[in-house]
Amino acid sequence: MHFLRCVLAEWTLVRPRLSRTRFGVWLLFLGTALIWVGRRGADPIGVALQAGALGAVLGAAFAAGSSADRAALAIALAHPTTPFAVATGRWLAALIPAAGLTIGCSIAVGWETSAALAGLAAAAAVAGCALTAVLLGGNGAALVLFICMTIAGAVPPEALVGVAHPGAVRLTVASALELGPALWRYREIATGSAGAVLHAAAWAALGVVVASGLVRRRARRAP
Amino acid sequence: MTDYALTLSEVCRAHALASVSLALLPGEIIGVVGQAGAGKTTLLRVAAGLLPPDSGTVQVWGPAGYAPETPVFPPALTVREVLAYYARFHASGPTRRAMVHDALELAGLAGGADARAASLGRADLRRLALAQATLGGRRVLLLDETLSGLDPLARRDLCGRVAHLAATGVAVLLAARDLGALERLGMGRVLVLRAGRVVRAGQLASLLAERVLEVILDTPPPEPPPGFRVTAAGLEAPLAGRTPEAALALCHAHRLAVRASRVRVKSLEEIVLDAHDAPR
Repeated sequence: MHFLRCVLAEWTLVRPRLSRTRFGVWLLFLGTALIWVGRRGADPIGVALQAGALGAVLGAAFAAGSSADRAALAIALAHPTTPFAVATGRWLAALIPAAGLTIGCSIAVGWETSAALAGLAAAAAVAGCALTAVLLGGNGAALVLFICMTIAGAVPPEALVGVAHPGAVRLTVASALELGPALWRYREIATGSAGAVLHAAAWAALGVVVASGLVRRRARRAP
Repeated sequence: MTDYALTLSEVCRAHALASVSLALLPGEIIGVVGQAGAGKTTLLRVAAGLLPPDSGTVQVWGPAGYAPETPVFPPALTVREVLAYYARFHASGPTRRAMVHDALELAGLAGGADARAASLGRADLRRLALAQATLGGRRVLLLDETLSGLDPLARRDLCGRVAHLAATGVAVLLAARDLGALERLGMGRVLVLRAGRVVRAGQLASLLAERVLEVILDTPPPEPPPGFRVTAAGLEAPLAGRTPEAALALCHAHRLAVRASRVRVKSLEEIVLDAHDAPR
């Protein structure tokens, strides 16, 4: 019960951020753009996946990306909470606005349950990855991830691997696309792929666990 | 057996603390002073449980509230929301709201509760740091430079609030480079840290009772008498149990032309500097 209260405490930070920072405007802008693209022929699964992934990156950036937000983690841990509860709450804070965006975009371009579920899974996975990235590298890392997700969602993986040649670079790109949270993989969730669901769940869990370690480390190193 | 609020026994931390021991009673204030890098912040962070000691033990009566030297709060939140956020870790419902209300009153932030954390000045940031540290009815407060670097009015106000907390039984361990703030508190004990070791400790009142004889001379002396040091106006020496007459007799014995003399109390700054300069 106490753990849930601590997680909820992190989640309650979302509303002020939506209304007082650029988070709300960015989500609105992203949603409008995706709906515009969706109504001009883009497939609903692609729109849902982009909404989930990009919304999650924005959510993580505004939940823990700024230097002030990361520095403030040290004081939170002087209260009866845990790094794991903080990380879980911030993950939820990144996920839920992205989930709202995914559902909103899916409704606007023509509801398909399988597409929406794929988008939600992508949001969960990318939120875990993005939370870790912003705790390590701040909003610069969020920008890189945002661009990667935009490209990975638009270009087939075979084409990306083909561009990156030869040797180690090609291997690195291929590994990143294979192991990382990539939209081409989560597209398979719409067709019932258990492997893709497991991949997304693993990224969500791994992201929270690694983020909790980073939160603990940050609290120890705080000035 | 004495019920201590906080005890540290031979606490060591690499490159920062070397076998520090202290015991803090409920309602007591201990000021920790020393130059930058002496280990003040590390001592507080170890006591708060944010850093594990390499060796030694830390025992706290209930969880300790911690106010860091450079408090940073979620910038998009108001003062009330910041406290509500931390209060959620302690309680829910009406209890939480009462907790936030009490913390705002205690720190003198009730009038500015709707100001954004990002817009707060230094004094209000320190007030907010103090307020969040007291959440949950903490009986031990670890305040890192909470009274330092403030204008005189804000310092007096915060000193009064810390003294009021101590009067209600809250034990306070306060790191301070602003020695004037400790003098204003006028109570408790002082520990002087140097390179992670306690080199001087005592009740503030007894430390501030140490007296110094100042002597104004017509001409600067070629060499000061034993125990005296040369100042811009002449000489000065700690009395340390001597009478002023005995110390002045020493000046006369050295054929120094004494124009005037006075006895004053040592400042805390002089006590800290003496402790710092003393041979190890």
